[in-house]
Amino acid sequence: MRKKTWTTFLAAGLLISLLSGCSGGTLAQEPSPETSGEKSLVWGDTTFNAENGEPDINPHRDNSGWACIRYGVGETLFRFSDSMEIEPWLAKSYENTDELTWVIQLREDVDFASGRHMDAQSVKECLEDLISVHVRAAEDLQIREITAEGYTLTIHTAEPVPALIHYLADPYGCVIDMEAGVTEEGIVSGTGPYQAVSLVTDSGLELVKNENYWGGEPKLDKVTVRTITDGDTLTMALQSGEIDVAYGMPYASYPLFENEQYSFTSCATSRAFFGTMNFESPVTGDPAVRKAIALGIDKEGFVETLLGGNGYPAEGVFPENFIFGGDAVSTETYDPEEAEKVLEEAGWIDTDGDGIREKEGTLLTLRWLTYPSRQELPLLAEYAQSTLGEIGFQVEINSTADHNSIRTDPSAWDIYVSAMVTAPTGDPEYFFTYRCLDSSANNDGHYHSDELENLAEEMSRTFDSARRQELAVEMQQVILKDNAFVFASHLRMSMVADASVTGLTAHPCDYYEITADLDIGG
Amino acid sequence: MNSHTEKIGARRQRIRADHTRIRLILFLSLVIALLLAAVFAEWICPYDPNGQDLSIALQPPSPDHPFGTDRYGRDMLSRVIVGGQTSIFSALILVGIIAVGGTLLGLLCGYFGGALDAVIMRVSDICLAFPGLVFAMAVAAVLQGGIQNAVIALAAVSWPKYARLARSQTLTVKNLTYIQAAKLSGTSSLGILFRHILPNIAGPVLVTAMLDIGTMMMEIAALSFLGLGAQPPTAEWGSMMSSGRSMLQTYPWVVLTPGLGIFASVVLFNLLGDTVRDYLDPRNGQRKRRRTK
Amino acid sequence: MKKYVIRRLLLLIPILLGITFLSFALMRIAGSDAVLQQSEVSGVALSPEVIAARRAELGLDQPFLAQYFRWLGGFLTGDLGTSYISGSDVFSVFVSKLPATLLLTVLSMGLTVVISLPLGILAAVRQNRFTDYLIRVCSFIGSSLPNFFVALVLMYLLAIYIPVFPVISEGLSLRSAALPALTLAIAMSAKYMRQIRAAVLEELGKDYVTGARARGVPFSVILRKYVLRSCLSAILTLMALSLGSLLGGTAIVESIFMWDGVGKLAVDAINMRDYPVIQAYVVWMAVIYVAVNLITDLCYRALDPRVRLGGEKA
Repeated sequence: MRKKTWTTFLAAGLLISLLSGCSGGTLAQEPSPETSGEKSLVWGDTTFNAENGEPDINPHRDNSGWACIRYGVGETLFRFSDSMEIEPWLAKSYENTDELTWVIQLREDVDFASGRHMDAQSVKECLEDLISVHVRAAEDLQIREITAEGYTLTIHTAEPVPALIHYLADPYGCVIDMEAGVTEEGIVSGTGPYQAVSLVTDSGLELVKNENYWGGEPKLDKVTVRTITDGDTLTMALQSGEIDVAYGMPYASYPLFENEQYSFTSCATSRAFFGTMNFESPVTGDPAVRKAIALGIDKEGFVETLLGGNGYPAEGVFPENFIFGGDAVSTETYDPEEAEKVLEEAGWIDTDGDGIREKEGTLLTLRWLTYPSRQELPLLAEYAQSTLGEIGFQVEINSTADHNSIRTDPSAWDIYVSAMVTAPTGDPEYFFTYRCLDSSANNDGHYHSDELENLAEEMSRTFDSARRQELAVEMQQVILKDNAFVFASHLRMSMVADASVTGLTAHPCDYYEITADLDIGG
Repeated sequence: MNSHTEKIGARRQRIRADHTRIRLILFLSLVIALLLAAVFAEWICPYDPNGQDLSIALQPPSPDHPFGTDRYGRDMLSRVIVGGQTSIFSALILVGIIAVGGTLLGLLCGYFGGALDAVIMRVSDICLAFPGLVFAMAVAAVLQGGIQNAVIALAAVSWPKYARLARSQTLTVKNLTYIQAAKLSGTSSLGILFRHILPNIAGPVLVTAMLDIGTMMMEIAALSFLGLGAQPPTAEWGSMMSSGRSMLQTYPWVVLTPGLGIFASVVLFNLLGDTVRDYLDPRNGQRKRRRTK
Repeated sequence: MKKYVIRRLLLLIPILLGITFLSFALMRIAGSDAVLQQSEVSGVALSPEVIAARRAELGLDQPFLAQYFRWLGGFLTGDLGTSYISGSDVFSVFVSKLPATLLLTVLSMGLTVVISLPLGILAAVRQNRFTDYLIRVCSFIGSSLPNFFVALVLMYLLAIYIPVFPVISEGLSLRSAALPALTLAIAMSAKYMRQIRAAVLEELGKDYVTGARARGVPFSVILRKYVLRSCLSAILTLMALSLGSLLGGTAIVESIFMWDGVGKLAVDAINMRDYPVIQAYVVWMAVIYVAVNLITDLCYRALDPRVRLGGEKA
């Protein structure tokens, strides 16, 4: 009897001390209730981290411009409409006086959050800093000289840059006050509805209302951006009410929020999931094999079932909300029988009955290189492994965070399946110069086409947007005809928010998110 | 103490020993059944574990699919059975490698001492102090992902535990009189090591190894979470759990059924390990003290 | 005694040299480098000239051994270098992550002892009875669940179903640390409970206990005065093992709970091939290893004066 009471006492005592210890902490750390009537919103985001190239909100660094513009700190001279057409933003208008000269008229009613008035001189300082530190911006813009006069900014380029206005709408083009500079934490002063007060890389960002915002008074007093890299944690944080908006939630969690307590906003983006064929490989070097792969991937099934409808089966490089995207081009559709026929005719036959075709002693093995950080990619790999397996491929998946070092070695893979925003600035030229040409630094598959080189050369000096669009269609058709790339799907970007959040609208370019309209009710 | 209580004690001990023997047989046969199931997984599983059918994706458990289906419409029961093969055998191989390798090194260190001992122990210090994660990620980068490479990486950082255990046991046994006697009678070092010392230290090593199997399954699962585990379509419990974890609230069977597999096998190996320990050392306190007295 | 401590501390030198060289070599064999990794994540197609220039700037163009000795030289003069990725001072970045890791370590160790000690003793006292079986089943469950799974289940139970704790950490507070600490404590407690149970059982089986009980000493006194004391060395051994891995950061738990500790820092650094940060982490691990082992040995001695330290000859 005695020992029983003793042990019970011991256990109970320790449990109580444990619980009281914790609840003591609870009381001490309870955040103060919102008594002041301040409106604040917490934004949970999977992308705001250094690994993603967004260590802070300085647009002149890596991809941080995305964070700068997405969180309402910075704004660009021009912006994209819902159909990805260029429209003025901090600029009023532009004129292309000759191939190398652009005259841009700025708005006259814009102040930086720092208090400084925005004029041509301040924009000039910003752009000059940008091209001196940001390699991609410098290569895109090819700026030779900038002159500033009142609210007139004149840009002289070293070569013709037909897409200059598009490039200025890229997140790196956020106009920031260089006099205020960049703090040690990476905070800049922009013209947007919110200004940053504190920032911790990989952890988050505190924003407050920019009282002098030129576009009307922002509705919220305070916005907290929380970096939450794990998708499940993001899901639960929204469920528990710790965040009001979730960006980058796993599809598998969507059913939890499909009710009146939450709202979704979605839209098609130009982020494509696609395979790059390796032309040096004895397997994918064969046009018949490439064609069979294109015929053997069930894009509809992938999007409808595995992505739960959260995507769009792709035809070419660009999604359907682009004039030169979607059905403007045509490519192979899923047809396993045709794929088998193509392989048969090219001499890939399964002679030993093991289900894998071979030709002259080479097995039809496809080394599928991909990476897990985008949730869609492993799903695509595993599904294609099955559908391609049925037509006689042996697909070996290598899904690794280390894909970057492997993809540069053409002997290590046959198809590299990755995700990429194919038209971040709404202009078609970027994808081709980045991925498909002899001069492209990221032409990992060593693809070459004379026809494509000629068309690309023409595009690089074409200013007429209608002609550029025609060229974009023709160029896509060339790479699709060669099956140099196979495009599986485009992302449907969705944000999930508490139902009390209003003024949140997904945009095809994926970076106008925290705006002056964003509000939270109740 | 009088002779009466001693008699009672002896009887109790005998009963306990009988119980242990029964438990040993029971758990041993269960573990053998588990291993057989793993060996013949392909024959047992009702469906093709890699056969996809999107039209039946994510179905809850039903008579046709007792464990439900995953998002590719694959039968979860079949995948859990085949996944067991990968998980159990990779854990067994891993523990086998480190237990055998580590013990051998420990034996040599303990018996010969000197420079060999110093060098191996410093290397083991480095391996113990070296962050396993850095090692695993480096190995994965060099050899690419995959379950066998996860095993290699874990083996490289986990062997010192056994080396230390074997070394300290060897040091204790080495100076016992019968070893000295064997030495004097001219038995070769190798003979002494394997015929006299090894059998003496095999017990603790075996028990540690049994209990380690569960730990190593967890380690492999952790690597899967970081994307360094099995590559698709290989079914493996840890990676099945980690890839299905976002479905915990929506389609729980996808993550719970492989979890059940891990649980069952960890429990079995642990129970067997405990029983083996009891069996090798019934009333472990008393006997040991008598010997050392 | 002092001699012994110094001798043990000297051990740090070969370990540090070996371990830092090993990690340097491994990362080199692993291929890629910070410049390539960074150019990929930023989506910038750098020209070969830019890449070469950037490499030269970081010294990545030099032969492997030269790089290692350059790093070692810096290290010996107390300079851990600057991060290739963020450009900030490695030492200060590392130190800024330590409080989080320390808090999590202390809290999860504490929770573990608080959970496993009473339960382990209870199981031993009630050996082969219902309580014992129940506790052992719990211990099996605890040791067969991957920690990412435990983390999610705890989050669901204690942050959503019964909203007591936050899902994501709100800075360094007990409240924020509770769930990650509990996640770690569950797996550790499962292990500790069994060891403590075994240790208590062994002690209870000893003659002096039988004798004391025969003389009518209350069981609770025996338990408290003698048995508990002997459990301490078992716990100490376990704690020494756990401390090393906890202080090294728990990458998975840290990244699930957004807990800003050294484990997450290390994983990110490895992914980005940020050599100076990786090296700092490896040095930290070596220091922990030597320190924890030394302290454990000294504790053993304090607990039981009969224990002789390795260096002292009888």
